[in-house]
Amino acid sequence: MIEIEINGNVVKAKAGEMLIQVTDREGISVPRFCYHKKLSVVASCRMCLVDVEGAPKPQPACSTPVNEGMKVHTQNDKAKASQKAVMEFLLINHPLDCPICDQGGECELQDVAVEYGSDISRFSESKRIVPDGDIGALIQADMTRCIHCTRCVRFGLEIAGMMEMGGTGRGEHLKIEPFLKEGIQSELSGNMIDVCPVGALTSKPFRYELRSWQMHSMPNIARHDLVGSNLFVQTYKGKVKRVVSADNDLINETWISDRDRFSYEGLTHKNRLLEPQIKVQGQWQQVSWKVALDYAVKGLNSHVLKHQKVNQLGGLASSTATMEEFYLLKKILTEVGCDNIDHRLNVKNLDNVITLDSNIKLGALEKIDYALIVGANIRLEQPMINHRLRKATKKGADIDELNVMAFDFNHPLDTKNITAPNKIAPTLAGVLKSIMISNTQELPDYLLAVEVGEVANNIAAKLLNSRSSVIILGEHIINNEDASTIANLITQIAQNTNSKTLNLSITANTMSANWVGFVPQNSGMNVNTMLASDMRGFILLDIYPQYDFHDLETAVKAFTKDDTFVISLNSFKDDIVAGYSNVILPIASVYETSGTQLNINNDMQSYTAAVKAPDEVKPAWKVLKVMADLLALPSFHYADSAQVLAEIFHQPQTKHTHDENVNLTSKHHGISIIWQNSPYSIDAVLRHSNALQKTKIGQMNSAYMNQASAETLGLSADDKYLGVPVVITNTVADDCVFINANQAVNTQGQT
Amino acid sequence: MIKKLSKLVKSFTLSELRTGLKITAKELVNKKITVQFPEERTPISPRFRGLHALRRYPNGEERCIACKLCEAVCPANAITIESEMRDDGTRRTTMYDIDLFKCIFCGFCEEACPVDAIVETQIFDYAFESRQGSIMTKKRLLEVGSENTQVINQTKFEDAKYK
Ligand code: SF4
Ligand code: SF4
Ligand code: SF4
Ligand code: FES
Repeated sequence: MIEIEINGNVVKAKAGEMLIQVTDREGISVPRFCYHKKLSVVASCRMCLVDVEGAPKPQPACSTPVNEGMKVHTQNDKAKASQKAVMEFLLINHPLDCPICDQGGECELQDVAVEYGSDISRFSESKRIVPDGDIGALIQADMTRCIHCTRCVRFGLEIAGMMEMGGTGRGEHLKIEPFLKEGIQSELSGNMIDVCPVGALTSKPFRYELRSWQMHSMPNIARHDLVGSNLFVQTYKGKVKRVVSADNDLINETWISDRDRFSYEGLTHKNRLLEPQIKVQGQWQQVSWKVALDYAVKGLNSHVLKHQKVNQLGGLASSTATMEEFYLLKKILTEVGCDNIDHRLNVKNLDNVITLDSNIKLGALEKIDYALIVGANIRLEQPMINHRLRKATKKGADIDELNVMAFDFNHPLDTKNITAPNKIAPTLAGVLKSIMISNTQELPDYLLAVEVGEVANNIAAKLLNSRSSVIILGEHIINNEDASTIANLITQIAQNTNSKTLNLSITANTMSANWVGFVPQNSGMNVNTMLASDMRGFILLDIYPQYDFHDLETAVKAFTKDDTFVISLNSFKDDIVAGYSNVILPIASVYETSGTQLNINNDMQSYTAAVKAPDEVKPAWKVLKVMADLLALPSFHYADSAQVLAEIFHQPQTKHTHDENVNLTSKHHGISIIWQNSPYSIDAVLRHSNALQKTKIGQMNSAYMNQASAETLGLSADDKYLGVPVVITNTVADDCVFINANQAVNTQGQT
Repeated sequence: MIKKLSKLVKSFTLSELRTGLKITAKELVNKKITVQFPEERTPISPRFRGLHALRRYPNGEERCIACKLCEAVCPANAITIESEMRDDGTRRTTMYDIDLFKCIFCGFCEEACPVDAIVETQIFDYAFESRQGSIMTKKRLLEVGSENTQVINQTKFEDAKYK
């Protein structure tokens, strides 16, 4: 710690930090444009000039390191004169279009100009005009307003990991523009809107709608990945109009993914389900809540409860539900007397599931020196986690992948190991064997026959040499024949090398489902058993089978049976849901309900509703509570969701025991299919947000396979496979089809 | 004593009545100043702040660009605006309402407008036939603007040199 003097006051500072960091901490205002706390310092705008005693000229605060005894003036005549001069230069080419600029009212240039600009312009020559191209569905460019601070360029380079924006030309002809015709495609691109200090980059879906001062800003939590980014939901007259990021260094720093930023558009989609409906003699009728709930409860009573067929009632929920909703649905079924609950709808074999702890904090991910990614396209699946990994690579960390396809990463990979799905477990076994041999440990029986290849040796050596490493398991493994073996091998490898593990095979709010134990505990049936047996009633929470189940047909068949009574709670209309349901209840979607999200670090974050749901649409926790009351179940006395959460805390934590078997004998032949909803199609709100769907990521809809697999399947590049256009590429491993679909896929006939 | 006496004399000689009658007689032959409203009108300052109007450019395009500065500045919260991007990419209002019951005719909206779109005219004699009549919609405001283009241009021109 050293002491410096700013404007006559002595303040403490860390040696070597930049002057602007000290003034920011002390609340002394220094104007700036190019400096951003999370980006590198370029000191190009010169707005932050301050007077440092002893220096002949004013110094830029953002790039002047502090020294013991330094005396700084931020407001004396010399400092002010230079700030004023810089301001005048910046305003030379800036258009006077604040009245039609969406940044107006929250613009850094406006604010600084009010303080430092002069009233009258001395510039009488002509101003520069920059024509704009279309730079994508999410960001609107008005480059005449650009002040060349290069924050967006540095954001692309340093954070998004793709240099999509750049400066071309020099001097008066310098233009900031995307290099490629397709414009900005990064999954974090929306942050450029936040970093741009002026209105050169603004939100396209929000264009010209409102002024920043018209909206209420409510803190909330993002719901589309395992991070639970903090954000502000900005509302006007009860509608969500914009989402911007909030700072939280432990979780999302200051960035949010495009998925979290633009998903709100889905809330006002014309497909929203707005009224309760019941099916009477095959005809849908729109009815009041009272009629619908009575009908639902009567249906449950007559189909299930009256016949003492309690064990033929099932409760299924998608991973988007809140912790309270998982808990209440579970409690209803428990009180009724059964345990048939599940959220693992897309897992084919529930005797072969991944159990892996996540034991590394997001912040610690930046500090690792080696990471092994197994079965994950982490950049698109978990953008905010990938961002931390990227930061680690910038500090020199090595990253290896063990994937079925070479995905586009935005950080360098040390080795790309493209491995057929059935070779992943043997490779990991090789890694474990190699490690145990190096550690001169006794080998367990199942490793004796394992061959250790070069890839395995390589990974083992890196794991052994690293000080802090992490092994990441992703969602491509969930339906792997060796899923549980892979997870157990990873656990063992981690134990033997002191590595951390990160389980990214789940998503959204699955952590909450696990927390409240939303899986059958004792005698209950899991989802696949339920679908295969003769059920007489279902309560389905926010389920759209064509996206959520690994096998659409079996699910729909089970729900459609004549004597099966199905109550669906959904936010959006859906033909398939309407086909099998007896009652459809409209429930609130994201930002419309209060609830709790548990992220991968076990950070429990509760949020309140930012807007009220449309008139006849109710939060699911309330619907479940009232349904329980009507079923005359005791102890459902909650006034708000916080009381539900309080009760969850008093529950004994369900301990999951899992086997640690490693079974390397499975002999899987033939072609494996890995089916995944494309990143902007993973839940119903996202599927209904127009701007996101127009982006390149939103349009992802391909079945990737290599030439050999295509020949085996008798397909060519113009064909469709399971309804998805075929793309033949040698980046896919043998015997594997990797599908990224933004449409409903029927994967019946998987081999 | 003297005061009382003079009062007594004045009342007996009807002096006050006579003074009054003298003025009446004088005004009887003088030029009249009564204005026969509404047939006749007093002159109004070009700065008068009456009924609002939205103006158009000579080519017929509406001036207002939906910046909402008038809405923000209005001390009575009388203005409500909704905006969108029109098909040609320009920023336009879809709704522009002024509630004349709320308005205090301060003229701040006119002052705030960067494109001189919203102005206050010299019209002050208007009436509503229903409750909703107090809401000046965008359509009505533009009508007032078109009907009085000449007067508005003239008065704004006259007042401009004092701004
Ligand atoms: S577009 Fe915005 S962030 Fe990018 S250089 Fe211009 S002013 Fe800076
Ligand atoms: S004259 Fe004053 S009170 Fe009336 S609308 Fe304009 S700003 Fe509001
Ligand atoms: S009338 Fe003028 S101030 Fe009001 S929104 Fe239109 S342009 Fe802006
Ligand atoms: S903020 Fe220091 S030079 Fe731009």
